[in-house]
Amino acid sequence: MTLEQETTFKIYDILDTEGLSYFYRGDLTASITDGILALTETNLTKANEPVKVKKRVYTILVEGLQNITRHQDETGTWKSFFGVEQSGEFYYITMANIILNENQKKLTSQLDKINSLEKEELKDFYKKTLMENELSEKGGAGLGLIEMARKSGNKLQYAFKKLDDKWSYFYLRTYIKHNFAAVNSDESHLNFGNIFDLHEQLDKENVLIIFNGIFNQESLINLLSIIESQMAGQAALKKKVFNIMVELLQNIVKHGISPIKQEGNPGLFYISYSKNGYKLHTGNYIKPDKIDSLKENIDKVNNLNNEELNEFYDKRLFNFQIDNNKESGLGLIELRMKSNSKLKYAFKETSEKYTFFTIEVTIKD
Amino acid sequence: MEPLIRKATEDTPEIILDKDKNTFSISERSLPENAFDFYKPVYEWLEQYITQPTEQTELHIKLDYFNTASAKQLGKIFNLLETIKYSLKVIWHYYADDADMLESGKRFARLTGINFELVEEEPEEDSDDFKIIYD
Repeated sequence: MTLEQETTFKIYDILDTEGLSYFYRGDLTASITDGILALTETNLTKANEPVKVKKRVYTILVEGLQNITRHQDETGTWKSFFGVEQSGEFYYITMANIILNENQKKLTSQLDKINSLEKEELKDFYKKTLMENELSEKGGAGLGLIEMARKSGNKLQYAFKKLDDKWSYFYLRTYIKHNFAAVNSDESHLNFGNIFDLHEQLDKENVLIIFNGIFNQESLINLLSIIESQMAGQAALKKKVFNIMVELLQNIVKHGISPIKQEGNPGLFYISYSKNGYKLHTGNYIKPDKIDSLKENIDKVNNLNNEELNEFYDKRLFNFQIDNNKESGLGLIELRMKSNSKLKYAFKETSEKYTFFTIEVTIKD
Repeated sequence: MEPLIRKATEDTPEIILDKDKNTFSISERSLPENAFDFYKPVYEWLEQYITQPTEQTELHIKLDYFNTASAKQLGKIFNLLETIKYSLKVIWHYYADDADMLESGKRFARLTGINFELVEEEPEEDSDDFKIIYD
């Protein structure tokens, strides 16, 4: 097992794998924002959320994303971080962006003020702030924060992490209960949980996007559109990433299994970047009795050279004995050919019935 | 013969199989979850068509992208169309910057006895992603 695969297991352990989550780390652009919103909408619709809850989650997301786009690091050293988690009865929205250390004090007092106000008071405070803003023509100035507090109906949890003499990460987190009628005042929901660990891990591995949840064709399409927009301007590379992503994710959709009853298979997908190029990682459950044949198939394509791979592909392409909705016999060969690198994989037994399988594909620049 | 027309979706291609208008094409992108099911009516339509084809058939393949499951179905279709290879030409469109699509075209040409014409298209301008500006 390589270090990278240990990382996949590690990240999967940090994440709440009962729920669903996606985190985005990097500069946000309009189309990426749209992609994140679309992905959230799909999941909210799947979860049959009432319109009221959907709207609130949506508003908090939009405000949060706007907040981040206003405060991105122009130097590109520090990446923004944004995540949506659904766990049990709650949605958690977490964001981190960099701020100047000198602004910490002002933000703290703003947030403390917002958190001290009750529902009606918040409404008044919003109006007051809005009017003051209009007078000063400055815009921003905490309106987004007030709106987020209003929509969530809960406090805004925050934290700062000093990065250097000039910059800090500013973390903000809030939650919404599925059934909004009953506002939950349990403050324990507001702690940051494993967020700092996760963010640190993602920073270390230079992860750009991570999706943990149920894989089906619909989530695949939304993920693709996010990745497509993120990689604008690099046509050839984009196509390769796109290609490999489709094959990897459709493998989870078709061959993954689910320890709990649900539509689609749980798993993990993330993209990281290293000096060797982009790396695409997936993790999902399979039946232990599939390990041997899977291993054999991957080892086989790993051991072929380009010419042999080509011949193998030709043979499989016109082998109509293997032809159904589940398999074409081409996926692994394609992954190996398109990436031009060996496929790395690992298995981790999680129980007698389920083994966690991870695969990593490096796409050389 | 009734034409077979399918509008493109985000994961399935546009299909136009119209004998009366002598227009045959598969375009856009193809990455359905169940490619076998999606291409079944296409295959069946062509099965019927080759029993009484028009004098000259030009099938245009203008795909931006297809997954391996779709590749298999295309292979099956070309395999079937070998029956009418003397009156058939497959026009395989690819963007100038898309080496993979050109390779796929060459592969199908090599593996079938069908006459393939590989046609290079000008790549579409990749619009630069713009940074969002609020306020």
